[in-house]
Amino acid sequence: MIGRIKSNWRVVLLIVFVLLAGFALFSPTVGGDDASLANDSQQASNNTNLKFGLDLAGGTRIRAPLIGLTAADVEFNGDSEPQVADAVAGQLSDTDITDVIARQADEEGETNTVEVVDPNVTETEFVTAMQQAGYGYGEITSGVTDDTRQEAIEVLEGKVNQAGLSGATVQEFERSGDILIEVPGQDRQDVIGLIEERGNVRVDIYYQNDSGQYTTEEAVLTQEDFQSVSTATQGQNGPGPHVPVTVSPGSAEEFRQAAVDSGLAQGGSRCTYQQDPDNTEACLLLVVDGAVVNAFGMDPGLGASIANGDWLRDSSFILTTTSFEEAQRVAINLRAGALPANLDVLGGTTSYISPTQGESFRTDSLIIGVLSVLAVAGVVFLRYREPKVALPMILTAFSEVVILLGFAAYLGYPLDLAVIAGFIAVIGTGVDDLIIIADEVMSEGEVNSQRVFDSRFKRAFWVIGVAAATTILAMSPLAYLPLGNLSGFAIFTILGVLVGVLITRPAYGDILRYLVTDR
Amino acid sequence: MVEIAVPEVDYTQYTNRQLVAVPLALLAVALLVVGGWYVMTGAPANLGLEFTGGTELRIAVDGENPRQQIDAAFGVAPESVQQVDADGSFVVTFQEGALGSSQIEQEANDAGFGVLTIDSVDGSFGPEQGRIALGGIAAAFVGMSILIFAVFRSFVPSVAIVASAFSDVMIPLALMNLFGVELTLGTVAALLMLIGYSVDSDILLNNSILRRSGDFYESTQRAMQTGVTMTITSIAAMTVMTVLASLFGIQIMRAIGFILVVGLLADLMNTYLLNVSLLRWYVYKGVKR
Repeated sequence: MIGRIKSNWRVVLLIVFVLLAGFALFSPTVGGDDASLANDSQQASNNTNLKFGLDLAGGTRIRAPLIGLTAADVEFNGDSEPQVADAVAGQLSDTDITDVIARQADEEGETNTVEVVDPNVTETEFVTAMQQAGYGYGEITSGVTDDTRQEAIEVLEGKVNQAGLSGATVQEFERSGDILIEVPGQDRQDVIGLIEERGNVRVDIYYQNDSGQYTTEEAVLTQEDFQSVSTATQGQNGPGPHVPVTVSPGSAEEFRQAAVDSGLAQGGSRCTYQQDPDNTEACLLLVVDGAVVNAFGMDPGLGASIANGDWLRDSSFILTTTSFEEAQRVAINLRAGALPANLDVLGGTTSYISPTQGESFRTDSLIIGVLSVLAVAGVVFLRYREPKVALPMILTAFSEVVILLGFAAYLGYPLDLAVIAGFIAVIGTGVDDLIIIADEVMSEGEVNSQRVFDSRFKRAFWVIGVAAATTILAMSPLAYLPLGNLSGFAIFTILGVLVGVLITRPAYGDILRYLVTDR
Repeated sequence: MVEIAVPEVDYTQYTNRQLVAVPLALLAVALLVVGGWYVMTGAPANLGLEFTGGTELRIAVDGENPRQQIDAAFGVAPESVQQVDADGSFVVTFQEGALGSSQIEQEANDAGFGVLTIDSVDGSFGPEQGRIALGGIAAAFVGMSILIFAVFRSFVPSVAIVASAFSDVMIPLALMNLFGVELTLGTVAALLMLIGYSVDSDILLNNSILRRSGDFYESTQRAMQTGVTMTITSIAAMTVMTVLASLFGIQIMRAIGFILVVGLLADLMNTYLLNVSLLRWYVYKGVKR
């Protein structure tokens, strides 16, 4: 028994892989990300772990670039970030200070950068502005920095989550830096509307006036007053979770005055607004669309520097929160759904597939897949006329598809039309290689010993190996280049070739040996 | 019952010149078409929506005279209107810059059409994609050539494979122009697939002739037996896919299928005429020199 398993280990390996694939496809414990399957129509017709891409489930996909120009290796000459941004913006007529982002390098390998995200500024204008502002720089490229891109993704994620869209994803498009937004089940215009929508956010000061009454000084800071809102930070060894913000120089003095007059700045304040609003020291309130979502006190050190005016030099502070999630929410709210750079929604590609169309694509592509396999089986039967050669051939090719589907389910890779076309192509190449093995092994008369079989099998495998290597090489540009959803086609063709060469084709060799060797 | 038997070809009846004539003539015509297209339009093939920019809608239209309804509904005339056989819906294409995609969507909704799919690509984004895609095909081809030369390590057999793969890609490209199939991401994928797919039978042939015992014609016959079966199996699968996908109006699968069918047919010719004669010349004449 053991000996038999040992000599047929390739078949055993194939069976193991098919079983694993079956487990990945049908076990409820694998890929149990229920959130992405919340769409009813999607769940009803899918009792496997396979995920469907937008082609097959319906929904909207938007791929768009962030607009901006970035100068790298900038000499800040000892100026702070807001000062640099202010100076450069000052040289650009009609460009708001919020459209210029200066970033000091804070990690190894980064350089100081200045970005202009106003779509109307040309590269020449930017060059002139940098020179007139007196900052040396390395080179100017089109696009935005990674930090800006991450902030944009954070804002977009916040938006789709707040809108309660299940299964929506926002990601960076590999290698081109475009943003890819996929929202299952939603109309295209709804999604574009959501991306472009801006909430209304302001900061109020809540304090006791001279007569002891609590009053609210409204809108001491509004969206326009913030020069920048950085990403939420964990702040593990210091202040804890927080959001760094910078008030634009033009609004800083006004804010300072309000903070001093309300008593917020004097010696700092402890805010207990959320526990007991009738008995608290002065607070900064974050108000989103009219509702108070957070309240902050002020650190004594910051209070002192606001009181004596030192604070105006860099006009920034941090808003501390109780948890990182809260910090992220605050950051998104402060930006009020405003992206740090413009997303050129119609400047990339958008596609929308209605859910009913997705459903019919699903049925149609299944029919196409099944009939293509039958066509292959038909040709193979007509050619060999011998079920003992043809049947294992078709079963082996079929198991290749099962293993690939298992991979897709395990990885949670969404199936779309291109991937299914890839599967059909895989069956084609798979059977081709099995034909090479069968013909080689059965040529030149009877196979009467293990040794004869092995040498013939090895010869056949040489051809298969070279052919597989060429296919992988030919498909790899497609897997690598930023060419839309075709990377799925390429990845699954390559994966299919690998599964074929390493698992299914050797197993077919063993099966064939058992069937044709005279013992 | 039908039986598929690979016919025995008596190559001894034909000279190398005769064998090479047909594939070379076809390749020349293909190159002329592709080159001509490039001179006339600035691109080797008709570029599809993904590379030129524009908007494509698939809409369901109720009521009488759907085509008139479509003509009346939009502010600008669509570039093309095609009906999908399977469900009677219409694929309507607009050129880049004709109207914003949001307005087109709005007009379709106002006219009471059911919008099934919308694809829109910006005019500045498309050409960039086109350059990347053509670069990808070139890179794949060069990579394949290097691999073939590294594996076979002799000039003529390697050139035979590379030349027939080149022709396998060029002939479908030319036919795309003649049949009005556009170059899209799907067809680019198919052309890349073809590079990998079509060298299978060439490698098999070279291997059989150069590395195996037996005389030239025997080896060729043996390789042909296997190779033709392989290619016919693939053609069968791809034909089914192409026919059904055009019936169902699934463009990406139809495009991939069409290219592969044409390319594999070209490969049958190139492998067993062009490649065989180059190898015969190499085996009989090349060695003597």
